Amino acid sequence: MRDYWLSKLFFDLQSSPPLGDEYRASRKKILDRYPLKPEVRTAVERDDVAFLASRVNPYLLRFYFVVAGMSEADFLKKVKTAGADAAARSSHG
Amino acid sequence: MARLAGVFASSHAPLIIRGWKDVKPANQQELTGSLTELGRRIKAAKPDVLVEIAPDHWVNFFINNLPSICVGIGEEHEGPAEPWMKDCPYKKIAGHPKLANHILQTAFERDFEPSVSHHLTLDHGFCIPLWRGGLDPLPPIVPIIINDLEPPYPSVRRCLQWGTMLAEAIRTYPEDIRVAILATGGLSHSIGEATMGEIDEPFDRECIRHFEKGDERPLIDFLNERLPTIGNGAAEIRNWVAAHGAADRRGFELIGYCNCPEVYVGCGFASWNLGARA
Repeated sequence: MRDYWLSKLFFDLQSSPPLGDEYRASRKKILDRYPLKPEVRTAVERDDVAFLASRVNPYLLRFYFVVAGMSEADFLKKVKTAGADAAARSSHG
Repeated sequence: MARLAGVFASSHAPLIIRGWKDVKPANQQELTGSLTELGRRIKAAKPDVLVEIAPDHWVNFFINNLPSICVGIGEEHEGPAEPWMKDCPYKKIAGHPKLANHILQTAFERDFEPSVSHHLTLDHGFCIPLWRGGLDPLPPIVPIIINDLEPPYPSVRRCLQWGTMLAEAIRTYPEDIRVAILATGGLSHSIGEATMGEIDEPFDRECIRHFEKGDERPLIDFLNERLPTIGNGAAEIRNWVAAHGAADRRGFELIGYCNCPEVYVGCGFASWNLGARA
């Protein structure tokens, strides 16, 4: 299931380079404009790739972390860990 | 009547532009060779109009309204909006409203109900193969977006039928013009998933073999079975399937294949020899 406002945040950030600049300068200012659920906002603030990956389209997830300034190597590591964790949870029912 | 002058397919990996300096020289040579040959074949077809089938990468559509298929009928479209495509020479891209509307009308007559846009932004999926294939100036383009990005996707069977309809629409268009089709996307890749960066070359090779054999049912069965098991980017092979349908399922010729980890994509380039129909 997609989280609409999380998806909208990521979509807006990848659609507008000036908004991306603002976001890198002050995440709080931009996040305050979106009615994110508290746990979703916390995950965004913590760069919690595993939590966010199950709630947004993978392309938007990737675009977002490019805009947010995460290195490609770091993103790859986190997204692979997120997948491994999800597989482990799944195998434990 | 219009004539189908050529059918082509190409990958469109963003890192061909965004990360080109990090691509190994041998792969640079292979990709450049394939894209140059693709461009040469498109130019040799002398298209008066190019119908281009590509996905949208969250540029035109969002999850508040996500069409399965959209036909661009405008007089003009925007060039790519991605900041890293800033050197792309296509800033405004001419459309061809008359052919686009004929395709649209034919689609509705054949029980398709595509979405319609009077003004699209043609992102890297449309522009990288044209740019790197050396097509400048461009012929007018009729853009067709197939949703390969966010499930639910149109079925493989439906994409094949869409291609058949597209060829009929071109054949019945009442002006004496040459029309080519270029489908972009694929082959195997994974973006933003746990498998990101993984290329499934055996899948890609088998996929190519199915296109070469041309038989409809085995191709559909193969893709229905395998697409859900590999990276999300392979969903774009639906566009190749539409091109295959337009070429009447015959004459597939591989221009080149490059398993290129530096761009995360099993890159394929192809054309259909329309004179090779059985």
